[in-house]
Amino acid sequence: MAQPMDNVVDQVAQLNAARSLVLGDAAFYPQIVNGILPIVGASTRLELRRWGASFLAETFASPMLAVAQKEQLAPNVLQTIREILELPETDTAVLQSLVQTSASLYPLVFRHVVNHPQDGKSWETMSAIKQDILRRMDTFPCPVKLCCVKFIQRVVQVQTPGLISDPRRPEQNETSLAVVPRNHAVLSIPNLEAESSGLLDRLLGVFQEEISDALLVNATLNCLAPLIRTRQSIANKIINAVLEFYPTKHVRPPFTPTTRVSVKSMERTARALLINILKKNPNHHLAGRMQMYIERLMQSRLEATDDASRKRGLPNEPTDGLDNAKRARLNALPPPILKIPPMAPGPASFDRLFTLTEDTGLSSFDVKQLPIDLVLKIVVPLLSQVHDSTLSQAVDAVRTRYQTITKDQNLQRQQQQRTAAQDDDDDYEPEYQPMDVASVVSEEASAVAAEVADLQPELVSLGPFVLPQPPPLSEEEAGEIGRSAVARVFGMLTAAETSPAPAKGQSQQKLGFARLAGSTFDRDAWSVLLARLATRAPAGLENDPQTKGDAVRKQTTIADSIRETLYRFILEDFRGRLNIAIIWLNEEWYNDRIQMKSAANQRDDTEEDSEPIVALNYDTWATRLLDGFLAYLDSRDIKVLVRFLSEVPEITLPITQRVASLAKDPERVNLCVQSLMYLIMFRPPAREMCLNTVEDVYQTYEESRPAAGKVLTKWRPQSTALEPATNDAPASSEAKPITSES
Amino acid sequence: MAYDPRRTNSGTSTPQPPPPPPPPPSTQADMSSAAQAIETANPAGAAAATDSYKLKFCTVCASNNNRSMEAHLQLSGAPAAFPVISFGTGSLVRLPGPSITQPNVYSFNTTSYNQMYEELSGKDERLYRGNGILNMLDRNRQLKWGPERFQDWVPGVPRVDHLSKGDKGAIGTEGGVVDVIITCEERCWDAVVDDLMNKGTALNYPVHVFNVDIKDNHEEALTGGKAILDLANRLNEAAVAQHRVHGSEGWENGTGPARQSFDEKVPEILADWQERYPNLPALWTLAWL
Repeated sequence: MAQPMDNVVDQVAQLNAARSLVLGDAAFYPQIVNGILPIVGASTRLELRRWGASFLAETFASPMLAVAQKEQLAPNVLQTIREILELPETDTAVLQSLVQTSASLYPLVFRHVVNHPQDGKSWETMSAIKQDILRRMDTFPCPVKLCCVKFIQRVVQVQTPGLISDPRRPEQNETSLAVVPRNHAVLSIPNLEAESSGLLDRLLGVFQEEISDALLVNATLNCLAPLIRTRQSIANKIINAVLEFYPTKHVRPPFTPTTRVSVKSMERTARALLINILKKNPNHHLAGRMQMYIERLMQSRLEATDDASRKRGLPNEPTDGLDNAKRARLNALPPPILKIPPMAPGPASFDRLFTLTEDTGLSSFDVKQLPIDLVLKIVVPLLSQVHDSTLSQAVDAVRTRYQTITKDQNLQRQQQQRTAAQDDDDDYEPEYQPMDVASVVSEEASAVAAEVADLQPELVSLGPFVLPQPPPLSEEEAGEIGRSAVARVFGMLTAAETSPAPAKGQSQQKLGFARLAGSTFDRDAWSVLLARLATRAPAGLENDPQTKGDAVRKQTTIADSIRETLYRFILEDFRGRLNIAIIWLNEEWYNDRIQMKSAANQRDDTEEDSEPIVALNYDTWATRLLDGFLAYLDSRDIKVLVRFLSEVPEITLPITQRVASLAKDPERVNLCVQSLMYLIMFRPPAREMCLNTVEDVYQTYEESRPAAGKVLTKWRPQSTALEPATNDAPASSEAKPITSES
Repeated sequence: MAYDPRRTNSGTSTPQPPPPPPPPPSTQADMSSAAQAIETANPAGAAAATDSYKLKFCTVCASNNNRSMEAHLQLSGAPAAFPVISFGTGSLVRLPGPSITQPNVYSFNTTSYNQMYEELSGKDERLYRGNGILNMLDRNRQLKWGPERFQDWVPGVPRVDHLSKGDKGAIGTEGGVVDVIITCEERCWDAVVDDLMNKGTALNYPVHVFNVDIKDNHEEALTGGKAILDLANRLNEAAVAQHRVHGSEGWENGTGPARQSFDEKVPEILADWQERYPNLPALWTLAWL
């Protein structure tokens, strides 16, 4: 029973002996190869097939066996390979060796067929093997697939025209499409070329995969060099494909150590390939791009994070001396220390500043006496001789001197200026806000002038320059300018609005509470700006009017004109600009609060009877706005109305009354009741007020009964209005605004 | 006609051992039982066929003296006794001399370690004994005849004479090809990858090229050599596993990692190895002989 197995062991031992024989003397190859083919053929045991396949791979790769002999051996071997492949063979090792053998055989058979057109059978077998390999490549296990990559490379190399080194001696030319005669009986040049072009695409396709397999990429990169070198016609295509390939883009995000190894290996292999090309041909027309690619690879993020920690530093002690280049120079002399004398006394000048010697003879020497070219001749070689550290010491010395001088001069200048500037400040009194712009400008101008003056060395100093004051503006002019400024801001608002903004919305969503009023220059930022311009900027200035009378009334129109414009602006498209309205009303309300608070403080301070009057704008403008667009609301605008009512800072009686008035229109009864119900549910401070209003509505408008009745039964079941007796239950007597305004 | 390796095997083997109790449906068990089946079926033959499978290694440094030879020693002297050859990528063999400017320079391929040893011990035995050069050369001459230059190596040329000369690690490398090249310095790795491209990839034989960055001194060479042996053992383990799994039975039954080939495991093995040797920066690619 054990006989066959022992047989196999014996056979393998015999085969190994045969292999030793041919390794010792290549002359035995033909004999041995033909002898073993039947033993290791398709129907034999796995061990023997493995041995045979690997032996064939070795044979046809061997540089010791002459090409002519390999060519002779090829037909028999081809037949065996075909038979084994068609088993179908499934053992990885056998397949691997067979594909390797086929890759080695392909150019041999090709050349053989070129020279022997009558031998169509060999070519047919070779083609069958090729088709089989290419067809099954994608299903092969990885090691075999790698060998297939190499096989494809071989086929492409053979079926692409190469260089004809010597037309007179065809046997010396490299095997390529170029050695095929045009009228060859078996080989059709266009077909072969088309096939190879397709295969090249398949080969380079590995660089376009979403997720790169480092093995396939490296295997491909490492076999491309011969193609680029010997096949001019496809070299550019290959190089371009490599240049488009960035390993870091082809890996999945979780960076395991394995992916790091893979990415690094692909980067380094791509680099090695390009360097190989550049070394062969430094004047390659793609050299620039290749250099850039190599540099970009070097800077790649992974490399940076990965290697920074692992690169070894200098050896911390001299090593045992095996590598001399790594020894640091320890005996270099420390540079001499330059002796810097203090700067010569007296007013600072450039020659004093730069004089670093104490030798009076040298420092009094006038270099201008020498012709300039002579000076150049002396200075340039001299500079190259100067020790680095000496030069930097000297420069440092001059720099410190210069800094002390400028510091002193600045101090002096500031003192002078302080005395001069005090006059300037006194005779300027801002009367109202817009003038500030001008004053800032003039202040800035003087500051700039002062700065410029500071920069001037003492020797050429000019007197301080102050821009002349602009002619005073009349109040009308000032108002006009103010309005035009406001108009410009509105211009920005509309401009920002028309610009497409899908991304804007997103970014704003993200900002959330971290948002600042004017941080983004979009529509909202501008509307906040406008609202503040209307509410904050002139606040306080308007409160003086009591004393000044009509003249100032006109000025208040600046704030009010902004409000008026905002109001109109919003009403133009109240559905789209509702958020501006809300921003604005919030600002108004906040401003009102602040005003009242400061007024209260003032009163405490002054302890006088005179009640400060605070002009409150929120109520006025909230009702105006509501009045403005209520007329245009239709029954489906519930969202608009609810949004407005829920986001304005305060609900007042006038507002609820306006809402109640909607019930006049039978179509909008529901709108009215629903929005009130929303307020009842979600705005507790306004709940009572709204319930009163609903009661009111319930009693006044017949059509509202069904809807309003429901609300009342839920929220105020005890309401008298619900009782069938429809008297004029005075809703107004109960109606007590919860939020009271002064 | 369908061919089934398992059928052949079971048909010709000695009586099967009592089959393992109803096989648990895990691939692990399938694999091990398959391997067990082979081994019990033909104790001598299978052991020879599977365990004798070894990866062939090649170590490379600048002068083929210190780091590559230390690794050569480790690999060939290991229990596994890996087939190994070694090379240098420099233009000349450079050994430290009495001063920085006077290195001892020899040419590759034509000078033996023994010659160098004799010459240096004749020049100044105390110096070269003291800096370890003589010890190193003595070790090297026990391993092989002399330094070889990588760029002069023609892959595929039989190395039977090295076997007859008694070079350590020569058994298994008669064919003149290797599966794994390990360099000891990045510029050597660059030189090797570049040179393989120049050689034209004529053999269509895949080779994994690793770099393990080792400082060029005796201590580091020793640590580095051990680390290289560790890497080699792991790689070989994976290769043997592939050979076995794909060998007779079990390939069809294996799934997932069990079916993963040696080549596919290489990046993982290296990443894993690198975690354990963070001070020896590694690099890898798959090239062609």
